[in-house]
Formats: sequence, structure tokens, C-alpha cells
Amino acid sequence: MRRLAWLAALVLVLGSNSLARSSPQPAQSDEELQITDGEVGRYGGSLVVGQAAEPKTLNPVTAADVRSREVIGRMMADLIHINRDSQRTEPALAKSWAASRDGRVFTLKLRRGLRFSDDQPFDADDVVFSFQVYLDEKIHSPQRDLLIVGGKPIAVQKIDSYTVRFTLAQPYAAAERIFDSLAMLPRHLLEKAYQENRFTQVWNINESPAALAGMGPFRLKHYVPGQRVVLERNPYFWKMDQKRQRLPYLDELVFLFVGNEEAQVIRFQAGDTAIMNRVNAENYILLSRDAQNGGYGLFDLGPSLEYNFLLFNLNDAKASRANRPAWFSDLRFRQAVSSAIDREGIVKLVYAGRAVPLWGNVSPSNQLWVNQSLPHPARSLEHARELLKAAGFSWRGDGRLMDGKSQTVEFSIIVSSSNNQRTKIATIIQDDLSKLGMDVHVVPLEFRALLDRVFQTFDYDAAIMGLGGGDADPNPEMNVWLSSGSTHLWHLGETKPATDWEAQLDQLMQQQMVELKYDRRKRLYDQAQQVIAANLPYVFLATPNILVGARKNLANFKPAVLEPNTLWNVEQLYFREGSGATAGAKP
Amino acid sequence: MNYLTRRLIHGIMLLIGASILCFLFADFAPGSFFDEIKLNPQISPETVAALRSRYGLDQPMPVRYVRWAKSVFRGEWGYSFAYNAPVRSLLAVRAGNTLLLTGVATFLAWLIAVPWGIWIAAHPGRGIDRLSMGSTSVLLSVPELVLALGLLYLVVRTHALPVGGMVSLRFDQLGRWSKIRDLATHLVIPVTTLVLANLPIILRHVRSSMMEVLKAPFIQAARGHGISKASLLFHYALPAAANPLISLFGFSMGGLLSGSLLVEVVTGWPGLGPLLLEATMSRDLYVVVGVVMSSTLFMILGNLLADAMLLAADPRVRMQ
Repeated sequence: MRRLAWLAALVLVLGSNSLARSSPQPAQSDEELQITDGEVGRYGGSLVVGQAAEPKTLNPVTAADVRSREVIGRMMADLIHINRDSQRTEPALAKSWAASRDGRVFTLKLRRGLRFSDDQPFDADDVVFSFQVYLDEKIHSPQRDLLIVGGKPIAVQKIDSYTVRFTLAQPYAAAERIFDSLAMLPRHLLEKAYQENRFTQVWNINESPAALAGMGPFRLKHYVPGQRVVLERNPYFWKMDQKRQRLPYLDELVFLFVGNEEAQVIRFQAGDTAIMNRVNAENYILLSRDAQNGGYGLFDLGPSLEYNFLLFNLNDAKASRANRPAWFSDLRFRQAVSSAIDREGIVKLVYAGRAVPLWGNVSPSNQLWVNQSLPHPARSLEHARELLKAAGFSWRGDGRLMDGKSQTVEFSIIVSSSNNQRTKIATIIQDDLSKLGMDVHVVPLEFRALLDRVFQTFDYDAAIMGLGGGDADPNPEMNVWLSSGSTHLWHLGETKPATDWEAQLDQLMQQQMVELKYDRRKRLYDQAQQVIAANLPYVFLATPNILVGARKNLANFKPAVLEPNTLWNVEQLYFREGSGATAGAKP
Repeated sequence: MNYLTRRLIHGIMLLIGASILCFLFADFAPGSFFDEIKLNPQISPETVAALRSRYGLDQPMPVRYVRWAKSVFRGEWGYSFAYNAPVRSLLAVRAGNTLLLTGVATFLAWLIAVPWGIWIAAHPGRGIDRLSMGSTSVLLSVPELVLALGLLYLVVRTHALPVGGMVSLRFDQLGRWSKIRDLATHLVIPVTTLVLANLPIILRHVRSSMMEVLKAPFIQAARGHGISKASLLFHYALPAAANPLISLFGFSMGGLLSGSLLVEVVTGWPGLGPLLLEATMSRDLYVVVGVVMSSTLFMILGNLLADAMLLAADPRVRMQ
């Protein structure tokens, strides 16, 4: 009998411990928690989100794919964070920071009393360790390049347990923003693996939940290969609501691996998932037919930050195919192509009106940096013909366009076969350019085969691609516009600027990178946008709107243009009481 | 050297040949796993080159092949670039899911096709025979993909069954019987698709083999001795018609890992299909090679099984 009583007591204790482990811990007086400004919610529920593929790793230092980052981002936290709504930096694990007058030294003050999701304290040693790992050449972290400023790694120094100093080799305009999404690592769990050179092997997708800890709103509960990953509340998370209730409200966050977008739409309609994270215009229209009865709402957030463009191969003839036509290097030819393209038609036919036409590299949704004075010339075939005539082109009796050597203008556009929208854009351009007498062939290629041609073999005439979408700041795009940049796609591997305007662009981009005053920096970047728009290394086409959906009973849902569009404030999301619909939610 | 040993050696040679071809074809495909990273303006070419070097992608193909072969002997089956983990650990769970699906589908297809085939072989030219031949002709001409999409469409319209996946989200909280029921409801669409795709082939083989045997003189003699129809069909005709069916059964066993890949992708079944598709698209070379080689291994084992069964069933094979 006594044994039974002991056993019952043990079961009770274990049971209550496991419950307590994931229930929110009351705020301690020594904890410097951040108070959020969202609507005060209620605890409970499980939010199910469809995801196209499973994460490949849970290691924030080695993760390079979007799916892994989406999951890891909910389990980890950074020192300074970009608010996805305002697009500006805000305090995160660092409660404040100060920059030196020359913009080279940043001193960050950490919040006191914070704990990792395994109840271990967080302090400056974790920060120093994290940066040591990110900067380690042997680890090859994709984020390492971000932390190299002026050719030198950022120096990190612990001042005391809650103060860390970062020293940059040169002033860097977007220094605060490089801290965003750099997950702070638990030294107590990872230092041994790091010292034993096993760091890249830890925290893979099969890792035991006990071996993982972070500062994010959720922590790993379990992973079912090929099916789902389940996160549970981090009971020690460092944010609270206006009523001093510790966040997050949700008990669980489930990423369900659903495959393609169409399957995700079906699961969302069926009520299996509660959030539809970015759909294309066709699926948006399909979903909108059933939105009233389906218990979900749809949101059109306006243009994204990405830009789709037509790229002409301007690589050196030696590196490229020998018989590549010379027309692409002629600005008037590129201007004629740009003038003939019906961007409004692309917006209507490809994106069902849920996109905006583009004439520059910065989306109109990027209000901090877009150059509003860039011209938006209307489509004009007449103007295009004039430009071609001025460049020495002429027309045959059958209407075919010929260059000065009587060679007919015929070229191909390669496009990713898995991207239906870009394939449609290519066919619209094909039709538009046929009106100028150009014979354009659309060649859909498997995406990596396309990348191989653009980056390796240069065996292409023109391509339709897309870039951008990460951050609103210009600096992540440095490698696109600098002539020596690794994504200077139209002419890769330039050792020095091939043209005067590229030299001017190099200068402007370098200047804006080290200019600390916003107004001056904006002027420099405005000029850079003018140079780009005037010389058309890319013929800009359109940027699609960001379209998302969510169950109506999901409160505090504030989708944003910056990624992650829907889950950036997941700690504040909650299911409304008595809303009846429990789709995607465990009541 | 006996028959089975010879077949086993042939199987091993075939495996080595298939692995070399698989490597060659994967190498011919343009692009590599790290190409997509190049599109990220924040990652330098040096980092991409270092990552390629870490995984040995800067080495010539023969060197990579030998490394992979060594890892097979270590039981790792290569290393996934995407998952940063041995391929075996990725294949094991998903192969189990695939085997569950194809095992159930193969079992059901044979369970239905054998008695049905025997029945229509015994009644050639009748209405049921003509109906069976007509419907199987239609099924043979419809691709698996269309069958799966048609069934999914019906389910989406009627909400009668789950629309994808292997189990419900609350699977872990269910009791034993509820778990079995949940799994069974998720199995319906992919299993039905596979059964409808495989049934016509088996049914037609059973029918033609049985019809040939039923015309044989020894069956006529047995019939003349007044042996009952059921006994005639199952005790005399079926064993005599077994040889081609055993070969077909071996082929079915061989296709257990590879026969459902497309259906898995369409119905969201977490087997080898979605893994292979994603690995192919992302050029995760060793995962692709791992899936292809495990499918080849199953094919060879299935054929070996058929050979062993033929050896046991047919004295003529033993004589040879």
C-alpha cells in the first residue's frame, strides 16, 4: 500500500513538472522583460502552419535555406531586431545600445535576468561565444560575410556580464541591422561541440529536444520526419503583454509539411492549417471565393520588396558563348526593349492586378529608400522603334528587325520552369518584342540548370529572374550593384568597372555604405537608383503583392512586407475566446 | 556454382553498375546544390567555394565515387548536403513509410486480382470477363497521377477523408485503435490509387496464365475424372500456371520502394517520393543516389526472391 502511495506521489510530481515545464513562468523581479504593445490575449491553443518543405537543420549558424530559418527563427532571438511592421530596428535581447561618434564602435547593454528555454541564464559570455562561432572560418556560416566590414571581421569584447562592445573596421551605415536574425547561442550546450570541432554536426533535424535551447518564444517538442515539427511554448521567454503576462500565448506552434502551394491551399481551406503564408494571385482569387464561409480572412499587403527583371548577358565574349550578339551592350537596344514591354499587361495577366510595375530596383513599398523621382515612362512602341533606328537597326519587308550587319534580331530568354509567373512574363515579353520585329524564343529551364548558365557557363542570351525581398536597407544589395559583386549578374567577375556608369555606381554604393546620416545616405542611394534606371543593366518588370490568409479567430495577426511575413510576432498571436471556429487550433 | 549463387553475383554486379551510372547521370546534370546560395548577395563566392570543398564537390567524380562507396560500407550511404546528416538516417524512416503504403497496396492488389483472375479465366467470354477486360483496359490507360488527382478531387469536394499526409495532427494523443483507424483513413487515397494502377496488370496475367493451363490435356483429363471445379482450379490449374505469376510477384516485391514515388508526392505521403523529388530539385546528390540505389537493391532482391520461389516451385528450373 505504501509503495502504491509513493508511486502515485511520484506520478503526480512528474506529471505536474511536465505541465509546469511548458506553462509560462511568472515574471521575476530581477528579469528585465520587454513589454509588447499588442492586444492582450489569452493562453492556449495550437497554431498549425503549412510549410512547403521540412527544415533541413535546426542549427542557426549553418542553416542556409528559408524553411530551416523559418522554424529556427521561432526558437531563437537576436540582440537588435528589425520590427517587420515599422521596418526599423528595435531593442531585443539588448535593451539599449550606443554608437561612437565615428560609427565604428557599438556598445550593447543586455537585459538582465533572462534565461534560455532550458532555464539556464543568458549573459555576455553567450554573446561573445555566438559571434566567435559565426565568425569562425572553419564553420563557414552563411552569416559570416555579413559580419565582415571593411574586409575585417567585427571585433567582439565583453565589458561585463551584461555589456558587450562591437568594433568595426570602418563606419557601416546599417550596423544595427546586421544584428537582426543572428541567433544568440547557449554556450553551456554548444561550447564542447565547438571545441571538439563537431559544431556543424550538432542540432541537426533529428536532435533530441533536451539538447536544444534558445531565446525565442518556442522550443522544440518533437519532429516527425517528412510530416511535421512541433514547437512548444518557451516558459522563460523575455517578452510580456500589458498585463504583465509572459508571452507567448500559444501552447504549440506546428509546422506541417504540405509540399506545393496548391496542397497548402487545400489544407488551409479544409481547416487543417490556420495561416496561409504567401499565395500567388490565382490561389488568392480561389480562396477569396470561399472566404466568408471558410472562416478565414485574406490580406493583400501591397508590393513586396523583390524585383523581377529581364537580364541581358553582358559578360565578356571570351567567357561567354562566342556568337553572342553585340546588341545587348547597346544601351539604346535595352531601352527599346524596356519601352516595348507592357508592364501593366504583366500586372494584369500574370498577377491578376495584384502587383505593381517597376522601373527601378527599389519597390514602392520600401518607403524609406525608394527614389520617388524616377521616371515611369508609359509603354511606347514608337519610341522603341526610334531608339532602334538610332542604334542602326532596320526592318525587312516582312517586318523582321535587322541589325547594322543585316543579321536578324533573334535571341532566347531562359526562365525557371518551376516558376509559372515568370514563364508567363517571358511569353508576354516574347509577344511584345515580336511587335518590334524581334524573334524571341522562350526556353523554360529547371531552376538549377538556369543558375548554372547564369553563374557558370554564361551560355544564355537573356534571362528572367528575381532578386531582393530580404531587408529594406540597401546594404544587403551591395554585391548586386558593385562591379566586383558576386551577384553582379549581367557581368560577373569584373576586376574593374567595365563602363563609366558602373564606376559611378561603385562609388555611390561605397559612399552610402559608410554614410551614417540618413538624409545624406538617401541622396546617395537615390543617385544610385537613377544610374541603374538610366543604364538598364536589368530591365525591371514588376513586383508581386504579398498575399496571405489567416483564420478569423486568430488575433494580433499583423502580416508584414518583410520576411517572415506572417509569424514575425508569433509570440503575440492567440485564438479568440468563444469564436467557435477552431480550425488549425487545438481548443 | 549453383543457380542462386550465380543470380546473387549478377545482382551485386548490377548494383555496382547502377551506382556508377547513377553517379555519372547525377554528375551530368547542370547545377549543384550550392548554386542557389549564390543568388544570396550577402554570401561571398569564397564561402560558397569553401562549402563545396567541405562536401568534396571540388573533387573529380572518381574520387567522389570512391568516397561514397566507402561510406556505403560504413553504413552511411553518403552524406546529405541539405540535412548535413548521413543519408541512411534520412532514408530509414521514409523507406518505412513507403513500405507500409506499397506493402498494403501490393497485398490488396494480389488479394483481389488472383481470385478475380481465376474466376474470369474459368468463364471466358462471359459478361463478367468482358466487363473486367474493358475496365482494366481503361485503368491501364489512365496514369497513376490522374487517378490520384481524381480521387483527391472527390475527397476535397465531399470532405469524406483526409486530403493528405500520413496521420492526423492529434495522432499522438489517440488510443491504439483510433491510431489504426486514423492511419487507415489516410491510407485510403494512395492505396486505392496504387491498387487501381497495379490490379489490371496482375489480373490480366492471372487470367491469361490460367486460361492457357485450363486448355491443357491434363486438366481435361482431371475434369473427366469428375474432380470438382474449385479443386480443379486451385489444386491443379493454379500451381501449373504459377511460373509467370511468381515472376510478376517478384517484380511487385522489387517495386515496393520505387512503385509509389509519384503517388506519394501527389498525396503528400511522407515516404521516399517527396524526399527524392526535393533532393533532385536541389541537387542533393547523395540522397538521390541513396534513394535510387535502395530501390535498385529492392528490385534485385525481389528478382532473387522470384528466382528462389521458381526454383522451389518448378522442377524444370532445378534440372537446368
